[in-house]
Order: sequence, then structure tokens, then C-alpha cells
Amino acid sequence: MESEFLATATALLAASIRMSTPLTLAGIGETYSEKSGILNIGLEGIMLSGAFFSFITAHYTQSLLLGVAGGCLGGIFIAMIHGYLSIRMGIDQTISGLALNFLSLGLTSFFFLMAFGKTTELPECPVVAPLPIPFLKDIPVIGPALFSQDLFVYGMLIVVIVSYVVLHKMEWGVNILAIGEHPKAAAAAGIDVPKTRYFAALLNGLCGGLAGSYLPLALLGFFMENVTSGKGYIALVVVILGRRHPVGVFLAAILVGAAEALQFRLQTMGTGIPSQVFNMFPYVITVLVLFVSIGKNRTPAALGEPYHQE
Amino acid sequence: MSLLSMRNITKSFGGLHANKDVNLTVKKGEIHALLGENGAGKTTLMNILYGIYQADSGRIDINGNAVRIRSPKEAITLKIGMVHQHFMLVPTLTVSQNITLGLKEKGYPFTDRKLVDRKIAALSDEYGLKVRPADVIADISVGARQRVEIVKLLYHAAALLILDEPTAVLTPHETQNLFNVLRRLKKNGHSVIIITHRIAEVMSIADRVTVLRDGENVASLDIAETGSSHLSELMIGRRLETPTRPTTGNEATSEAPLRLSAKGISLQGESKKILDNISLDIRCGEILGLAGVDGNGQKELAEVLVGIRKSDEGQIVLDGQDISRLGVKKRKGFGIAYIPDDRQHDGLILDMDVVANLMLSTYDGTPFSCKNLLKTSVCREHAAKKTRQYQVKTSSVKAPVRYLSGGNQQKLILARELQGHPKLIVACQPTRGLDIGAEEFVHKILRRQKDKGVGILLISVDLEQIMTLCDRIAVIFEGRITGILKNSGKLDFSQIGLKMAGLTGAAA
Amino acid sequence: MRLLREFGSFAVVLAATCLVATVLVIAVGSDITRAFNSFFGGIFGSFYSITEVLVRATPLILAGLGVAVAFQARFFNIGAEGQLYMGAVAATWIGLYLPPLPIALHLALGLVCGFLLGGLWALIPGFLKGQFQIPEVINTIMFNYIAINLVGILVRTVMSNPESPLPMSARLPDNLHLPLLADPTRLHGGLVIALGCAVLVYFFLYKTTWGFELRAVGVNPRACTCAGISVKKNIVVSSLVSGGLAGLAGSSEILGIHQRLMEGISPDFGYVAIIVALLGKNHPLGVVAAALGIAALQMGANTMQRRAGVPASISLIIMGLLVVLILGRRYFINPTPGEAA
Repeated sequence: MESEFLATATALLAASIRMSTPLTLAGIGETYSEKSGILNIGLEGIMLSGAFFSFITAHYTQSLLLGVAGGCLGGIFIAMIHGYLSIRMGIDQTISGLALNFLSLGLTSFFFLMAFGKTTELPECPVVAPLPIPFLKDIPVIGPALFSQDLFVYGMLIVVIVSYVVLHKMEWGVNILAIGEHPKAAAAAGIDVPKTRYFAALLNGLCGGLAGSYLPLALLGFFMENVTSGKGYIALVVVILGRRHPVGVFLAAILVGAAEALQFRLQTMGTGIPSQVFNMFPYVITVLVLFVSIGKNRTPAALGEPYHQE
Repeated sequence: MSLLSMRNITKSFGGLHANKDVNLTVKKGEIHALLGENGAGKTTLMNILYGIYQADSGRIDINGNAVRIRSPKEAITLKIGMVHQHFMLVPTLTVSQNITLGLKEKGYPFTDRKLVDRKIAALSDEYGLKVRPADVIADISVGARQRVEIVKLLYHAAALLILDEPTAVLTPHETQNLFNVLRRLKKNGHSVIIITHRIAEVMSIADRVTVLRDGENVASLDIAETGSSHLSELMIGRRLETPTRPTTGNEATSEAPLRLSAKGISLQGESKKILDNISLDIRCGEILGLAGVDGNGQKELAEVLVGIRKSDEGQIVLDGQDISRLGVKKRKGFGIAYIPDDRQHDGLILDMDVVANLMLSTYDGTPFSCKNLLKTSVCREHAAKKTRQYQVKTSSVKAPVRYLSGGNQQKLILARELQGHPKLIVACQPTRGLDIGAEEFVHKILRRQKDKGVGILLISVDLEQIMTLCDRIAVIFEGRITGILKNSGKLDFSQIGLKMAGLTGAAA
Repeated sequence: MRLLREFGSFAVVLAATCLVATVLVIAVGSDITRAFNSFFGGIFGSFYSITEVLVRATPLILAGLGVAVAFQARFFNIGAEGQLYMGAVAATWIGLYLPPLPIALHLALGLVCGFLLGGLWALIPGFLKGQFQIPEVINTIMFNYIAINLVGILVRTVMSNPESPLPMSARLPDNLHLPLLADPTRLHGGLVIALGCAVLVYFFLYKTTWGFELRAVGVNPRACTCAGISVKKNIVVSSLVSGGLAGLAGSSEILGIHQRLMEGISPDFGYVAIIVALLGKNHPLGVVAAALGIAALQMGANTMQRRAGVPASISLIIMGLLVVLILGRRYFINPTPGEAA
């Protein structure tokens, strides 16, 4: 009885971590961006671009490594456009992000159709295989959950740890925080605000593109129009739930991933509960979190404000 | 050989000369005052030195070598440091993190905080600048933040320190502490340029002074060669007239009926009281001045009186009626007019036109609207009339207010606030940033309102203005009224200065 | 000189967009003349196609007006999509579960309730912003997804059609349909309502005290507080009106086209409405023009895909590009961003 519960819990945890991987990656990328003062609603567009370019590259080269590289570049491409619009031209970041979502959806759909035409059989690409780590995988519960996953998941864990160190233990992190709170003070201290923000945008695109790559290269094995279908927005949710802290983002993503995993399980069990009840879960939680955080405003003070050099 | 030599510096912004052919020389171990009125070009010159702007022409030499300073980073490399009027500190970071911001300290990128904190403590002791490295900036006082800014410069091994209006946020007592620090710096071979418009301070601390007027250098002198009145003549370009006394005597107003009575106003801030048991009376036809260093609660008091903020305790009575719980609109209805100190953010909607701005408080009454329907032609005619009456120079009443000059913007606010025949005017820094002509216009209007029996609260950091216009003078310090004096024309600034510092000296 | 730069830059934007479109058409390997013929043919080719453009424009006008009103108060309502769906829910509920009423009254009730429920849906984030300064962008996006999922739940449970296993509601009675303006096309009375709302919104924004307050709050809330205008009240009002108009778009789609509630009745109308509002500079007349333009763009693109093989997603690219270029245009006209000192 007890071991059955443990087995279910372990399986659920493993599934949650798998489901949470793209959210964590995208969320951490967005965390860099928001901490530096740039809000990027276009995260959806970044992920979609990453998914598309990773798929196309992997499909034609049959190389996973090149596919991942392609996905990262695809994400960076969209993120840098947003960066240029927000940093150099001071365009309202919400609108710029939305426009880029449209643009990304349009471009990826257009080029996908152009490359493959309207086929019933979806073109495929290589998929990354699970890579259990010997010894570690046998630790009860945590073993299967954390150490019997694929390279993407391991990569995600590394990104979480590295980002925590960078943002909270390194001077680079202090710089990013400074330009997100008081860009003028940072500039007076000699920090190049636009350059640092562009760098944060680059990281945003890199992580977001990586997150997008996960979908065709690890989860699905194919690409279709709008394959991300809203995951980018959920990633924004995860950033808020996680209080813009890498570990917080990781945990919040697992929470959301757990809901998704739970939903699948319950569906296969055949309860009459519509999947939408679980789909709603992360959004409702976010609203509640936003409600609860009244008065405790930990948003970077310069978030969304264009910075104008004298 | 001098440490710094700036020669023939010229800089214009959009056709206006901020600096015209300015020369400045500073020696090692010298405290040099840069004196001038608001808008004389002092901050621009120093911004050029600090690399924030680039001069259109001219040259800068450090220790005899010609240099080009293209950014604050380069200035810091040249051992120049600047403390701006608005502190450049990140509120959510600690003192220590702010001091090392932008530096590559030992262990970079994993800064050795312990080592840094030891260095900070050493500097702190040597120069008498009390700071605690682990404090978060948001939690410490303004005076402490200034100390952090100075420690920051010293940490960067600045040989030349530029301080922009450092005493604006300090009490006289804190100013003396600052001057002691400056003397220590001088002894250790640092040079200091202090930007100021306060002549008394120049005489007290500086070795040399350069006076700027209208963007030009009108004099560079040793302190020994000059005196207060000489400097003020140079600074203003004319003799300072003895302030004209209010036209109606004090005696008449002390018998007039009470217009406003504020009792026991208190307002709690984050860590301490912003307003502490304030009580004021203003009679009809009286101008009550509120003197004090900027940031001691004046703005909050004004906002409480007008209704923008609600006090935690206290009562406000206007013409015998308790208005303490009423909102801004209702108080305006009872005749309270407000001239805010920040006219561009609080007083006007820059991107709306003259018509809209004039209607801002009256749009929902006759004759401007009828049952929520705007009467646009009536509004427009009214705007035309008022701009003529107040001599507001604008191309058209439909032009956005953004394009009006500061003086005309202020006149617009006056036109709006005075159109309803107010009973009480709360005026905060009403002539800030205005030229002499506009300033006299505002004074004339205030005097005319006083003659009509309107009660006026004039909040100003300009003691001369207060002495010129006010019948009585209240002094505010850290949210408390430290004294209310009758303006007998024989008061001198030091009495008020003591009260501004919360110190009780000899009675008036 | 300034006027010349304004028009000049507009011309540049249009030229750039056409250039990109042409490049994409060539890249797909399609014949240019055939592509453009089918594009314009899809819009103007027949009476039916013109009415289809108008049918498509109807919800865009309504939702676009809603977004424009919110944007004028600087309430960034990204939730028009969810508000639209809630309006649809209300209209369906009124249509299915009320006892038979005179048709005009029944329809009117459906529209009004759509307005109210959509308004209520926007009111929650609006109130949270007005009262607690909780930022509305993420909030309204959340409510979009909550609404869409709510519809999914309703059509599978409480409102599901007993006669069909598919997730949708029962069909509304045949006569409960907005009057058709040009039988046998789909053009319905919703267009009249939309245009009427455009007039009303114009009147509201520029001729009433409420509109004046709302616009003032959108430009400088601080000055409004100091002048006695309630920022909180106006944000809440703007969210209510905004959500109401978007909800009206939803009701109009149900009562005029679909006659039943199901998932996917909105192909991102709520998000496209934001682009419509931006292109229309948040002015009611501009919104109508932009909505017609975008609807035409989408129709033309669909036809271009059918007849010339150019993917319809080209319309998304053009929409995104237009917004970016138009916003960027302001930068090139005035290269020193930020307010005058």
C-alpha cells in the first residue's frame, strides 16, 4: 500500500519535472530580462521561434546538437528584436511583445507551410533519449524524478543552479538588479545600461529558445503550427509565482507541471472531470498570488520603463 | 600646476547657451565653490566634467594633460567623482553593494564582501563619515545616504570630488558636519568643487569661488578677496534691494477673522512621523510663510490641507467648517486653491491642451458642462479669456501645454486655481524655476489676492521670498512646527535657520 | 515640414509592408499577379466577399472599441478575448434558458447581458488595479485563459447539448437571431450595433465629462489626483466599459452567427482587437477603419492561400510588422525619446 503510494508519487514527480522543463527554462530567461527592467510578453513568440528553428535544423541535419543550437538562435532572434524595440526605441514593451507574438506565429507558420506544404503526415525530427545517471538514479523518489531524465532536464537543472549563483552571488547579478531598479544610478556608476539590457535579452532568447526546442526535440518529435499554444504565457505566470528567483521559478514550474501531470493521470483513470479544470489551475493561482501580494511590491522599480541616456 | 583646468567650455541645448566660454581652475587640496543662481550653468559645467555631457567646444586638462571625458566611467578613471543632487543609489541594494557598484573588486565576479566592508569601515573612520555597510539604502536617512555617496567617491580613490548642492537636504547642524568632512578631505590632499547658490556657505568653507551667471563665468576669486554682498552682486548682476514690506500692516491682519485652523495634524511615515502634531492658523488677508529645508514635511502638509492625503490625526477647519474628512473636489468647492511645487507632474497634464488644463477642476459644473455633457465652445472661450487676462503666451488654446515655457505654465495654473474666487491658497514653491519677470508677476498676484481677503499659505525654501511677502513665518523641521514668528522686518536669517534645524536659540 | 515627415513616414511604413509581403509571396514560389489578384478578389471580388469582410469586422470593431477605451485610460486591457467569451456565455444562457419572450426583447436582453458579463469579467482586474495598484497586463491575460477554460467546462457539463456528444451547447431557437441585413449573406445586425457603439464611444470620450475624466486619468493620473479627479473610479469605469464592449462582441457572434456556444468561436479576436486599437490610435473612427482593414487583410490572405498557395499566416506577419513599424515610426520622427525636460 505504502509502496504503491510512493511509486505513484515518484512517477508523478518525475512527470512533473519533465512537464516543467520548458516552463522553467523560459521562466528563468524571462527572470533575467525582468530583473534588468524589460518586460517581455513576447515570451510565447520566443519559444515558438525556438521550437520551429530547432525542428527545422534537426530535421534537415538529423543532429540533435545542431537542432538545439538552431532553437537557441531562433529564440535569440525574436528576443533581440524585442530588445532593440524596447531599449533603443523606447517602444511600449507590452505592445512590442504582443506584436512579436503575432509576428513569430506568422513567420513560423508561414515558413513551415512553405517548407512542407499541407501534409497529413507531420514531418519528424530526432528525439533526445532518456539518460539515467548511474548510482544517482537509484535514490528513492528523487532518483527517478531527477536523475532518470533526458539531457534537457539535466540542462534545465544546471541552468537553475547557475542562474541562482549569477543573480544572487555574483557581481553580474548586482549589476542586473541595479539597472532594473535605478538605471540612472547604475549608469552613473559606469555600468553600460543598454548593453547589459541587451545581454539580459540575449539570455532571455537563449533560454526561451531552449525551452521551445524541448517541445519538438524531447516531447513530441514533430512541429506543428502554434505548437507552444500558450506555454509562453504560463511561463510568465511561473515567473510571478516564483517571485523572479531562479529556484522559485523552478518550484513554481513544478507546481504547474504537477497539475498537468495530474490531469493526464486523472484523464486516463476516466473521471468525468474535464481537463479544463486542471488547465485553469495555474491561472487561478496566479491571480490569487497577485491578490495576496498587495502592498508587498517586489517588482523591479524600472520594469517596463524605457531608459533614456542624457 | 593645477589639478583641473577647464578652458573655453561652451555647451548649448537646442539653441540655448547653458555654458558660454567658461573657464575654471582648481588646485590640489583646494575647496572651490561654484556659485550661481538656478539655471546659471553650474550643473551643466560639472556634468561635462563628469562625462555625462560633451562640451561643444573647449578643453579640459587634468594635471596638465589634455583629456576627453566621454562617460562617467572615464571620469572615474581620471579620479573624478560626483555626488548629484538626486542620489545615485539603488534603494534595494546595501550600502556596501552600492559603493562597489560597477567595480571589479577582489574575487570578481564573486566579490569578497568582507574585504570591501573593512575598506569601507577604514574610510568611514578616517573621514568621520558614519555608514554601516550592511544597511539597505531604502532604510537609511537622507543624511546617511549622502555620506554613503561621499564614501563611494573615496572608495573609488577620487582625487577631485564634485558635490552638487550638498546642503540642500541637510540641516545647519548636518551642514557643519559635512564641512568638517570637507576640511579633512582637503587636509589629505583631495580637491572639492561644491556647487551651490548659498553665499554664506561659500564664505564659510571655500578657498576660492567661481561665479557663473547666465552661462558665463563672471568672476574667479580667492575668498579673501571678496565678501557676501560682493558675491551676491556678481551672482545676481544687480544690487539686492531691501525686501519690500507687505502693503497692509501686520496689525490689520491679526484682528481679521480666522480663515483656516489646522490642529494636531499628524501623519505616520514608514519609520517615523512625517507630520508631528502640526497646528497652524491662517487669517483672512494674511500670508503665512512656511520656511524649512526641502523634505521636512512641507509637501505632505500641503497635500493634507488640500485633501490629496488624509492625516492620521488632526482637524482642519475652514471658515468654521470641519473639512478634515472631505476629498479634494469638495475642498476645492469650498474655496481651497492649490499651486503644487511640481507643476509638470502635479499641476498640469502636459499632453493635453490649454482648454483641458484650465477645465481640470471645473469641467463638471456650469457653465462648462450641463448634466455631464461638455459645452466645448464655452470651455474654449473661457480659455481664451483667461490666457489673455493672465498674459499666458501660447500659439493657440488648443496647443499642448508641454510647449509653454515654465513661467507661462505657472501662470496657467494660477489662472485655473484663482478662477473660482478662492478663500485659501496653498502655494508650494510658486516661483521655482521662473525668471525674475515671471516671479514678480506671481508675487503681484499673491499680493492682490491677499488684499481681497484671501488667506495664503506660502511654502518656500527661498527665505528672501518669505521675508518679502509674508506677515508671519512658521518654520517646519522634521514634521514639527518649531516656531511661528511675526515678520517685523527686523528678523535675520540665523534666527530662522536655528529653528529650521530644530534648535531653540534665543527667542525672536 | 512636420506634416511632410508624418505623411512621408506613413508612406514608408506602407511601402515596407508591401515590400515584405511581395518578398514572402515570391519566396513561396507563387506568381505575384495571381497572388495579388486573389488577395483583392477575396475582398472585393463579389458581394458575398464584401459582406464576409464586414461580418469579420463586426466583432473586431466592438472589441477594438473596448480596448481603445481602456487604453485611453491607460488600462492595458489584454483580456478582451476572455471578456468576449464571457459575453458569448451570457448570450447563450439568455437564449437557451429564459422562457420565450418577444424576439426583439430577447435579443436585446442577450446583448445587454453580454455587455454586463463581459464588463464584470474586466471589472475584477480593473478593480484590483484601481484599488490595489495590481498591474493589469498579466492579470487580464490570466482571465483570458480562465474564461476560455470555463467555456470548455460549461460546454461539457452544465451547458452541454444533450443530443450530441460534442462539446457544445444546444442550438438557440432559429428565430432568436440578429436580423440579417443582406440575405443570403451572413451579414447581420451586429454590424449596425458595432457602428452605433462607435458613435456612442466617440460621444462618450469627447463630449461628456466622464470621457474627459477618463482621458485625463490616462494621460496624467497624478495631476488628476491633485485636481480632485478620482483615478480609481475612472480606471474601474474604463474596465467596465471596455469589458462590456468586448462582451458585446461575443454576444453578437453568438446571436448573429453561431447560434450556440462552443470552443473556438473566436480566432483570437480579442488579441487582434488590440492591434486594431493601436492602429486606430485609440480613436473610435480609427478603430472602425482599422477593423475593416484588418478584416479585409485576413479575408484576402485566406483567399490568397486557397487560390495562389500563399500561406494565410502572411496576415499575421503583416499585422505584427505594421504594429512594429508604426510604433517605430514615432521614434524616427522624434529620435530623442522621452519627455521634453
